[in-house]
Amino acid sequence: MPSFTLLGQSLVSGVLVGGLYGLVALGLSLSWGLLRLVNLAHFAFAFLGAYLVYQMGTSWHLSPWWAVLLIVPLFFALGVVQHAIFLYFRVVELTSLLVTFGISVIIESALQWIWTADFRRFETPYASVSLKIGAMYVPVVELIGCIAAAGLAWATWAWLRWTYVGKALRATAEDPEIAVAFGVNQRFLSFLLSGVCAAYAGIAGAFIALISTLAPSQIWAWLGVVFAVVIIGRLGNPLGALIAGMLIGAAESVAMATFSPAWAPVVSFSALIVLLLWQPDWL
Amino acid sequence: MTAHRAISGAGIGLAVCLLALLPLAGLPAFYDSFLYIVFYWISLATSWAILSGFGGYFSFGHAAFFGAGMYTTATLSVKFGVPFLVTLPAAAAVAASLAVGVGAIVFRLKRLRGELFALLTLAVSFILATIILNTPIDGGAGILTSSVPLPHIMPSPSQTIYLLGMLMCVGTLALAYIVAHSRLGLGLYAIHDDEDVAEVKGVPTFRYKLAAFAISAAIAGAVGGVHATYVGFLTVSETFGITVPLYVVLMSVLGGARHWLGPAVGAALIAASLYTFTSGDQAMIGRGLVALVLIVAILILPDGIVPSFLRWRARWTAQRATAPLPPVEAPQPAATPSGGDRPANAQDSGIDRPVALAIRDARKSFGGLQALRGVTLDIHEGEILGLVGPNGSGKTTLINVITGHFPLSSGEIRLGGAPIQALPAHEIARRGVARTYQIPRPFMHLSVLDNVAMAAAFGSADHGRAASIEEARRWLDFTGLRAKESALPAELNLHERKFLELARALSAEPQLLLLDEVLSGLNPTEIDHAIALIRQIRDRGTTIVFVEHLMRAVVELSDRIAVLNEGTLFALGEPGSVMRDPRVVSVYLGKAHAA
Amino acid sequence: MTRTAQPWRRRHVLAGLAGALSAGFAATSRAAPSGKPVRVGSTLSLTGPLAPTAIIHKISGEIAVEMINKRNGFLGRPVEWLLLDDQSKPEVARSLYEKLITVDKVDLITGPYATAPILAAMGVAQRYQKFYVQNSMGIPKHLTYEMAFPATPFGSEPDKTFPKVLLDAMASTATPPKSIAILTSKFPSAQFMALGTREVAKERGLNVALYLEYEFGTRDFGAMAARVKDANADFLWVGSLGLDSNLLLEALKKLDYAPKRHFHLYPAPGPLALSPDGDLALSSTFLEPAPPFLDRPDVPELAKEYKERATKANVPYTELDAQGAGMYSQWQILEQAVNGAKSLDDKAIAQWLKKNGATTIYGKLRFDGPFNHGDPAQLVKQVQNKKWVVVWPTAFAPPGVKLIAP
Repeated sequence: MPSFTLLGQSLVSGVLVGGLYGLVALGLSLSWGLLRLVNLAHFAFAFLGAYLVYQMGTSWHLSPWWAVLLIVPLFFALGVVQHAIFLYFRVVELTSLLVTFGISVIIESALQWIWTADFRRFETPYASVSLKIGAMYVPVVELIGCIAAAGLAWATWAWLRWTYVGKALRATAEDPEIAVAFGVNQRFLSFLLSGVCAAYAGIAGAFIALISTLAPSQIWAWLGVVFAVVIIGRLGNPLGALIAGMLIGAAESVAMATFSPAWAPVVSFSALIVLLLWQPDWL
Repeated sequence: MTAHRAISGAGIGLAVCLLALLPLAGLPAFYDSFLYIVFYWISLATSWAILSGFGGYFSFGHAAFFGAGMYTTATLSVKFGVPFLVTLPAAAAVAASLAVGVGAIVFRLKRLRGELFALLTLAVSFILATIILNTPIDGGAGILTSSVPLPHIMPSPSQTIYLLGMLMCVGTLALAYIVAHSRLGLGLYAIHDDEDVAEVKGVPTFRYKLAAFAISAAIAGAVGGVHATYVGFLTVSETFGITVPLYVVLMSVLGGARHWLGPAVGAALIAASLYTFTSGDQAMIGRGLVALVLIVAILILPDGIVPSFLRWRARWTAQRATAPLPPVEAPQPAATPSGGDRPANAQDSGIDRPVALAIRDARKSFGGLQALRGVTLDIHEGEILGLVGPNGSGKTTLINVITGHFPLSSGEIRLGGAPIQALPAHEIARRGVARTYQIPRPFMHLSVLDNVAMAAAFGSADHGRAASIEEARRWLDFTGLRAKESALPAELNLHERKFLELARALSAEPQLLLLDEVLSGLNPTEIDHAIALIRQIRDRGTTIVFVEHLMRAVVELSDRIAVLNEGTLFALGEPGSVMRDPRVVSVYLGKAHAA
Repeated sequence: MTRTAQPWRRRHVLAGLAGALSAGFAATSRAAPSGKPVRVGSTLSLTGPLAPTAIIHKISGEIAVEMINKRNGFLGRPVEWLLLDDQSKPEVARSLYEKLITVDKVDLITGPYATAPILAAMGVAQRYQKFYVQNSMGIPKHLTYEMAFPATPFGSEPDKTFPKVLLDAMASTATPPKSIAILTSKFPSAQFMALGTREVAKERGLNVALYLEYEFGTRDFGAMAARVKDANADFLWVGSLGLDSNLLLEALKKLDYAPKRHFHLYPAPGPLALSPDGDLALSSTFLEPAPPFLDRPDVPELAKEYKERATKANVPYTELDAQGAGMYSQWQILEQAVNGAKSLDDKAIAQWLKKNGATTIYGKLRFDGPFNHGDPAQLVKQVQNKKWVVVWPTAFAPPGVKLIAP
């Protein structure tokens, strides 16, 4: 029988890792839900951001927190450029998969060209610092990542819900024609959202650099679980993505702590299937 | 025609034989294995498209079925010594039963479409992978299959694998062609565009989806079986990784997922591109270059290569020969397209005729909302019943329960004496009930002709492919849409779409036709035209229930009028007496006029 | 195409001269090789998930080919290496080996890296009866082809022999561990060793406090770290690949727990040595660029050259490691077997090798045991002052270096 501390500890670490899933899922969910574009390149963007943070940190000794400030506007511009291409060629949901797959491969090749295929690890003094709360240890970087994810998710949710721009975005997703009829500038909004999504990828990348390992092919390692998170959280719902990420992270972590780690996916994904079949109203 | 088919059949047969003998032509053996990889991807992508491309159920878990097949063959041949060829049907069967098991649960739930289906299939593949990884099937050590003895069909093992891959590929393409040109395919295309409408038009959607899923999975399983010996060593992470589910999607999208040949073209191109840049120094740049070509290709041909090519060819031939449409039989609205032996009863009020549809105490509630609170109504053969009532009075709900789109909460509906309230919608459609939608819901990716032909094929008459097209053309003539038969619904205006709805309902040759506000949104001339059409339909002996707000048309057309209010039958009778009923005037007309 | 010989050919006279002058490092050193090149084909996973290791093999292989050409080449002819990218996909590896053999018509082949591509390529070699030497197959029993040879001395049953070496090392310390926690990736070769270690540990009376297998590619080690901390065994054995070990140690540190002693099977050597948590980590090796190995022929040159080229290629960890050494050994075996058999005939080469063995940077290797394996020579290394040093058996430790066991 696993001890209470062990269960609690694994729950904490699962929720925190889930927060990172949520952070990566955030931008993907927004562009899929509100623009109907499935941006596979989101993962590649995130890793590009991670490598940049790594590079700035190792060669200029720039703290990742400052690096993020540089990355956000840069990635916003990247997202806008990508969206300009999408609009020009009238890319739709299915084609976006293929186009963004191509972009991912190009970014992957570029990463390998610049940083080689070998593993990179961003060593920082605070990488393994923890807070001790009762019997639990809470790793600081993961906690900050989780807070950032929660903050961004909440801010995005509030933005979509309360501001004119947000409401217009949601209206456009529901019915583009009517939204246009009501004077919504769809083009402007879609550029704005694409930029925001790409900037989120950059922020997620900074935390990937701090928490995880870097290798160009790792781009594809996050695909399955993050897709699951995006869909469970409902497309275009920022809070949903965060909660779904934390649920999956916690389920896997507790399963790993209580029985075999290798069986963990069965637990979380069986729970997911049951949830889908049961179809509670909030899903 | 048959001679032509025989020749092309022989041609295909010859080509297949030549392809089968290719390894004996003395090419370097690498080409056997290169072509095998191409065949392998063609089979996988095409198998994915049978459910996901044709039917629109986007699966992200194709690796589950492929992997199930791989591990079935590996386990049977390595651990139990079953001859290799025997394991292939077993691999197909295991994969197909997995699909049927998943589908039998999932396809019953209407909400599990779109991305939720993708998620569910992804979850299934994760779970299957984890089970195989943690049980003695694999256990983590991998399975070495390179020592499995292959049958000596060809001189060398790699030639044998080539042959198996080729046969698998040819078989898959043949199956995809057959499915695409069969009732199943037509039904799947309809499901892709609008599943609810497909069901109401007579497509047994549940069975069709299940069949498509099973076929798709069976092929993937068999392909996996062959591939198990090709790779020589199986690991769970390799088998159930992201490559297979991702690549089949990309290949199908590139080639055109809705066309039977599309995924094959996409697969051949992408598989070949894997080998364009293999030398050590160019690997990275090569990969980037291939990706760039892929992006450019899909940006230029957003619908996929095959559909774009077909459209281009159609435009080209149209420019070359501006031949008129095949001779059209002069539109003869009065002529009965078929079933002309029914007596016309234009002047008959219909009350004394047999009951076509009997509704007894029909109740329907959605959660707390009671849409129908016990409606009892007889509709007689050959009559036109006008169904009126204020918004929210239950008119459309009544149509939806008659067609089986919603199950009744309680009560009974009999069609020609037989209870139908427990039947699925497609079964009710096949028994001769057809409807139109207030807001037209054509199948957006099917041509006008196919929209109508599809309804003819799945309607009560049970036409074959050729007969249903003939039938569809008749009704397009009847509604004046013949000139637009090859257009897509998006190119039609509202009036034409309404008539498309009508043609689609009529081509099913219904005994009972339910018209939901066919006149709304039309101008006065179009309304006159429509009224004339409805009369002609009734003159063929079809019973008509029509929901309408436009009182002029209701009074002009109806033999009887039924007034619904708040889910109950409020008044029923001949137009004159009902319209004079002061209660009706206050409840319905008063509101309608005020509105 | 990677024709490593091309830059060489341009200045082969000069290099040949240099080779002749520095006559010390090879007995066969004579005139520069000339004539039609002998073409050797192989694939490496230069792109895809296996690429991090492939680059090490590529660098080392290119050095090997150049050094062979500085000597006498193969049979006096220069060697040309035709290297293709199998994209980390075994099915691509298989078809590319068929391409090498039937289209490019190479004279000889050598193996790729990692279990799945090695086995996929072995099937092709077997069908065409090609001599096949590879250096990174950790499960010898899968090498069922009679002309498949290992370039790395795992021995035929490393899952039985190496755990004994490791536990001997542990037993030699002042406070031998009484309990062991085993955590392993479900990667075939790692799991294989983990199971063996568990058996040997039980035989020796150690308490196996924890045995966990995790999915290959797991990123979240938080929960597992909590269990490792909970078990609090004297010795932590991790069947890790790539950066698993770094992530696990960090996760442990976040729980304010440092394992007493910890062993890591196949970690990426650089990141673990440089990590603040990697101090005193143990791992397995066959050679490190330090005494006494620097006394072996070729090792100093290889280590120096490797460092230069790795730096130039922007690889983060530039010390020669067991992966790079294995690739070099692989080429040495090919060189000695071809020149010894005086033939490019695959059967003759295999026969000669089986009979005579080879002397590589790994020392004298025999191939007469089961699955063509000889004696195991797997060693234990440890991170000391951010560098890997061999600590066990003590005969292979640099002077003054000892196994440190807190």
